[in-house]
Amino acid sequence: MRYAGSFLAAVAAAFLAWSGIAVAQTPQNTLAAIKERGKILAGVKFDTPPFGFLDEKNEPIGFDLDLVRKIAEKLGVGVEFVKVTSPTRIPLLASGNVDLVAASMTNTPEREKTIDFSITYYTGGQSLLVPAESKITGLKDLDGKEVAVQQGTTLEKNIAAAAPNAKVTAFKDYNSAWLALAQGRVDALTGSLNILQGFQKNNPKFKIVGDMFSVEPFGIGVRKGDSDLRDAINATLRDLWASGEYTALYRKYFGTDPTIPIETRP
Amino acid sequence: MSYRFDWGPIWEARALILDGLVTTVLLSTSALVLASIIGLVVGTAASSRRLGLRIGAGAIVELTRNVPLLIHMYIWYIGLAFLRLPPFWCGVLGLAIYSGAYVAEIVRGGIASVPVGQGKAALATGLTPVQALFFVVYPQALRIVAPSLANVFSQLIKDSSLASVIAVMELTYEASAIEGQSFRTFEIYITICALYLLLVTMVTLALRFLPGEQENISGLGLAGA
Amino acid sequence: MPDVILQNLPFLMRGLAATLQIAAVTAVGGTLLGLAVGVAVYLRLPLLAASLRIYIEFVRGTPLLVMLFICYFAFPALLGYRTTAEQATILGFILFIGAYIAEDVRSGLRSIKPGLAQAALATGLTCFQAMRLIVIPLALRRIVPSLFNQYVRLLKFTSVASVIGVQEFTGSAMLVNARVFAPVTMLAFVALTYLVLCLLLSMVGRVLHAHLAV
Repeated sequence: MRYAGSFLAAVAAAFLAWSGIAVAQTPQNTLAAIKERGKILAGVKFDTPPFGFLDEKNEPIGFDLDLVRKIAEKLGVGVEFVKVTSPTRIPLLASGNVDLVAASMTNTPEREKTIDFSITYYTGGQSLLVPAESKITGLKDLDGKEVAVQQGTTLEKNIAAAAPNAKVTAFKDYNSAWLALAQGRVDALTGSLNILQGFQKNNPKFKIVGDMFSVEPFGIGVRKGDSDLRDAINATLRDLWASGEYTALYRKYFGTDPTIPIETRP
Repeated sequence: MSYRFDWGPIWEARALILDGLVTTVLLSTSALVLASIIGLVVGTAASSRRLGLRIGAGAIVELTRNVPLLIHMYIWYIGLAFLRLPPFWCGVLGLAIYSGAYVAEIVRGGIASVPVGQGKAALATGLTPVQALFFVVYPQALRIVAPSLANVFSQLIKDSSLASVIAVMELTYEASAIEGQSFRTFEIYITICALYLLLVTMVTLALRFLPGEQENISGLGLAGA
Repeated sequence: MPDVILQNLPFLMRGLAATLQIAAVTAVGGTLLGLAVGVAVYLRLPLLAASLRIYIEFVRGTPLLVMLFICYFAFPALLGYRTTAEQATILGFILFIGAYIAEDVRSGLRSIKPGLAQAALATGLTCFQAMRLIVIPLALRRIVPSLFNQYVRLLKFTSVASVIGVQEFTGSAMLVNARVFAPVTMLAFVALTYLVLCLLLSMVGRVLHAHLAV
């Protein structure tokens, strides 16, 4: 198998050289690479309202996307959005396919071992979305119930700990998890409160129940050691907060004023 | 090459990998049995002397095999969600119907390759048409089509990986779960590649050593699609 | 056509265009790769033939989805290069279908009687010329049906690219479905489109085969 692997790798390398894609080590300084390229490659979600989703014209919009646009503006470069899902976002960042990940990602000590995070730009909490006629009122009613969650998230670990007797199914993306609830395959969908509200907004047949049972500090992810880029992101986030632009964006997507200020020191 | 191999996390996740492997085997076996039944019925109908049966069988084959397998699975999982079928059975049905079309084509070819006299002779000895099929025609056809059947079955095993998309916790699903936690991308995918290769080889070997198959063993195996 | 389809038709058609583009590029690339590998294995080129056999058997034992994961996540991590989901899909499909086409090419070549090549050599052609001018074209004509089978498979395979996030036809339809929630209409539309395209492609294959028949 080792030979087959390295042989295939050689074919891949040959193909890439032929198609004009440089087979090079990822440059250490992503910020310099971004400026040279003239655009940021940003990993965002397309299925997670209000952070990253498609509008009626099927154009990607969202809180995360607008923040990235502001960061690009600050750096004087363009943006290319790359669709990621929870299980793919860190591998794509680590492999150099994207420069940063702004995909409603919770900062955890475990992830800090693999990637670096910006300051917390949003604090979410995990909750439950159930059909309007459901008898589930909170975590305590989940025993033996089917719960949908996203694969490769902190939510997956939290729900397993908070409701050990629930039958949890992890889906590859929010889209599939949401469909499972909408089609009655599961009894509840667990996720960040604001994301659940995003789904509920267009679907009054569902309700959010129970208290938030975790705190999810969202950060923008960059590759380990990419301090220049992280500093630039942090500086932009603080500027946005100071100028009130952050509040304007927050109102646009969440309909309220921010309740928790973003961190003002690293 | 700056990548550092680390197989530790893969070994730690062996229980998950084994779970996935068992599900893949169950999924493939159920689909394989169902696909064989579908293929036998549709393929025999396609060999019928009645025009209506032939046209009907042909239409079923073209309708099912020209739609991607992923769509077959989505149809059972998302399209017919009101049936409340568990994801596992949506995967089995999608796989079985899709592969069944291929099996039907093979069965039709196999029956055509058995000399017509064989069937007639069987009927002359007093066997009913169904008995003639099962005791005379099918066994001879099976020997001829065993290599193509092995191909379709090994394809089916590999195709079962698509069930991961509808949240069936089989080998590929567990692999992405493990990748998402350990980030040992290369190691995990090489591991499951080896496991799929093992399953495919087992099926190929099993069909190669069918009783009476030895005489035309040359030119069998993985070759030929 | 139902409203949900009509309203989202531009978006869906963009997805379909991506699907056709991926299928076309990988059909050409896969055929070229399959041809090169098939001929090399047929000629039993020392060392090369053995490693190519490993490649063929490895790919033929690997699910397509896993092949895509390898090209999207594993190779870039291993070799330290950057790739998009589209590039990874194209690489994965070419490597995948190339192995199957190589087997078709090899069996096509084996079906050509050795006498023919010997006759070509006797007329003074070099070995390379005999292969290029006589043996390969003849073998290719014979395998036109299996080649088109592979192209139809390829067209169906493109739907799998949606799993790694390529905005092709299936992926676009599922994204629209998440917003408009019309699963039956969406899936019927998608299935019908693939059906028509695949049938058309097989028909082209049959016509071509009839024209080239020797």
